[in-house]
Amino acid sequence: MNDAKPVNTADLLVVDGLAKDFDGVRALRGAQLEVRAGEIHALLGENGAGKSTLVKVLAGMVHPDSGTIRLDGEPVRLGSPRAAERAGIAVLHQELAIIPTLSVAENIALGHTPSRGGFVSWSALSRLARTQLERLGQSIPIDRLAGGLSPIQQTMIALARTLVTEARVLILDEPTAALTDSEITRLFEILRKLRDEGVAIIYVSHRLEEVFDLSDRYTVMRNGATVATGEIASTTVDDVIRAMVGREPGELYPPRAASTGPVVLEVRGVAGSRVGGLDLQVHAGEIVAIGGLAGSGRSELLRLLSGAQRRSSGDVLVDGRKVAGKGVAASLAAGIAYVPEERRAHGVDLEGTVTDNITVASLRELSTAGWMSARRALDLTRRSIAAFGIRAHGPGQPVGQLSGGNQQKVVLAKVLARAPRVLLVDEPTRGIDVGARAEIYRLLRQLSAAGTAIVLVSSDLPELIGLADRVIVVRNGRIVSELAAHTADEETVLAGFYGKAS
Amino acid sequence: MAQADTVSISVPTSNLPLRLLWQGGLIVALLLLIVIFGALRPEVFLTVGNLRNILEQVAILSIIAAAQTVVMVAGDFDLSVGATATLSGAVVASLLIAGWALPLAIVVGLLVGLAAGLTNGVLVASLRLSPFIATLATMTSIGGLAYIVTGGTTLYGLPEEFFWIGQSRPLEIPMPIFFAAVVAVIVWVVLRFTVIGRRWYALGGNQDVARLAGINVSLARVLAFGVAGLGAAIGGIILVSRLGNATPTGANHYMLYAIAAVFLGMTLLRSGQANLPGTLVGVLIIGVMSNGLNIVGVNSYVQQLLIGIIIIAAVALSALRTRRH
Repeated sequence: MNDAKPVNTADLLVVDGLAKDFDGVRALRGAQLEVRAGEIHALLGENGAGKSTLVKVLAGMVHPDSGTIRLDGEPVRLGSPRAAERAGIAVLHQELAIIPTLSVAENIALGHTPSRGGFVSWSALSRLARTQLERLGQSIPIDRLAGGLSPIQQTMIALARTLVTEARVLILDEPTAALTDSEITRLFEILRKLRDEGVAIIYVSHRLEEVFDLSDRYTVMRNGATVATGEIASTTVDDVIRAMVGREPGELYPPRAASTGPVVLEVRGVAGSRVGGLDLQVHAGEIVAIGGLAGSGRSELLRLLSGAQRRSSGDVLVDGRKVAGKGVAASLAAGIAYVPEERRAHGVDLEGTVTDNITVASLRELSTAGWMSARRALDLTRRSIAAFGIRAHGPGQPVGQLSGGNQQKVVLAKVLARAPRVLLVDEPTRGIDVGARAEIYRLLRQLSAAGTAIVLVSSDLPELIGLADRVIVVRNGRIVSELAAHTADEETVLAGFYGKAS
Repeated sequence: MAQADTVSISVPTSNLPLRLLWQGGLIVALLLLIVIFGALRPEVFLTVGNLRNILEQVAILSIIAAAQTVVMVAGDFDLSVGATATLSGAVVASLLIAGWALPLAIVVGLLVGLAAGLTNGVLVASLRLSPFIATLATMTSIGGLAYIVTGGTTLYGLPEEFFWIGQSRPLEIPMPIFFAAVVAVIVWVVLRFTVIGRRWYALGGNQDVARLAGINVSLARVLAFGVAGLGAAIGGIILVSRLGNATPTGANHYMLYAIAAVFLGMTLLRSGQANLPGTLVGVLIIGVMSNGLNIVGVNSYVQQLLIGIIIIAAVALSALRTRRH
């Protein structure tokens, strides 16, 4: 590669032998990273591999126990976010991008507000903001409140702020989670431009397709250590996955059931605010995927079936019996369980322990005359930890300390503790690494084989096609097509999303 | 995830009168109160003398509420401002009785307030206690100190020259109104136009983002609490001068009304932030209510009941407006 395209091989940032313990848990053990000026360097690894700890060290948010960080050959100490910024390292955190209550201009200049004698210099502030937005080719009104902007605009504002600090190393942590495909394309154009200007970009993402599209080189971490690094052009997705999980990438999606049983879930003319009169049947042993664009009504359908949102009309039948009410309690009583889209917001209590979370939906079953049996609660938790392969120190560990994949397993354990007839899952693997995803797919398939009807909503096309038996495409709240998953390909499904001929 | 973290602000935009009603709801409420009391007792309520009364009554509250606004802009709040005002006033009174020179006594009183505020700031920003617990505790201790300083009784016999602060009437206007106006202008300018003011707003918006942008978050929080303590001290000293005596609990009740005023004022902005003009309108609503109810003959216990209901109404209103989609 170096022969074909001359690159500056002088390493700008060199991380060596970085180690960090959190309360006896090894987050980093001898992590290494070498990043050159003018390259996009993908930092890969499963959740818990140490990527985010490494990023936090570089951002000055976490202090390593040992190891060195060199910039241009000089050792640097990154004692605080300010120190990291002065050293020329900027981090773009997807969830900590902007302050919603300040204007666009103030967000861009945050921490560097131009001032004279303690007073803000508004004209200099506007100039600064305009200049940086122009460099990014953005025309966002600088007086608007940042909270009212779209995710891509907020990302651009955060990116503009890193330009203010003249960062030489720019770290992006899952920047595309909230962006649409066309927005991602725009972001990538800008990142390539910054790279060509000589910025070293460290790109952290779970989406391997993105990484292969964008990056020049990569580093893979596993269990807190660096296990592989090299040129993207001379590797394959399979190789990278192998390095990430430390074993052969088994078939990601489990085999489908040979036959299905009787109808378990029947939906007759269910309507809500977007969804208008949907009919649907799901059999025992079957996983039905609902596909569509965000806003098509796919997530609303699940909310309507779960009772989280009131149905304006229509009936839901489980095993031929009509669900008596419209609320969550009625749906739960009828055997409908729901795993919502935003895991951290609606799925788990991050401060609660594994036991708290798993037992919260079954308190009545675990209690006698109003007294909860701690022994039965612990029993259920232990059984769930074993059955779902939840990796936790024990039943008493706060769920917030688990990786995203294990949090999701806790959510599944919670809803499945009630042995539901129907399971509704919305984006079950968003932000979850490959290894945990495979386990969750296996769990869902086992469950369906045991007779539970499963309805899946996902914006991940390969998952939609790979996991489901049938794919039902919804657009504007109506079913527009139905495909057998084993014959569907991504193009036809996507064409259905957009309403093109399929 | 990112979407869940941003607050979408829903204001009906299609219908202009409706939008003005949402945003100006607080001002409409104030005008409504004036109209109602004016209609009930026009000969007493709608006079220049009564207007002056109202302003005099709310002057000290507005100073303490302005101090509270600074803390709440930065995303914290301070339950101890009332007790701090009491203590500062009591310290000045006892020093004056002990024969200290007036300027020196006042400086010490202000420093006591500043120290109380900085203590809150260190507890919250450095020791990471929740503002609720930290300032509840300091409120209790500062209240105890006020009892110790006053010996549990009312301190009388303050020197005459001290009274110009709270009792003189240049241009027929009570002196506390001038102090309140100066404090209001200073706080407004600092919050709106200075770097530290914008940093406080940044903290109130999202502390983590501010920290990652290189802002010294702890220092900014400590400063905000320090300003609150200083503001409370100013209010407390003026109160003692105006009343001519210092009691062990004299200014404690201002805390609740100050927080109420800031909450009311937050409804004035689309973004739901604390802001000084809004706080002043909130203070006026509380002042007009209390004055009007007095004139109409409703006792002060009922007034307190109504203030609580107003806070609930105001917060419910802003919750409605900033509800997520």
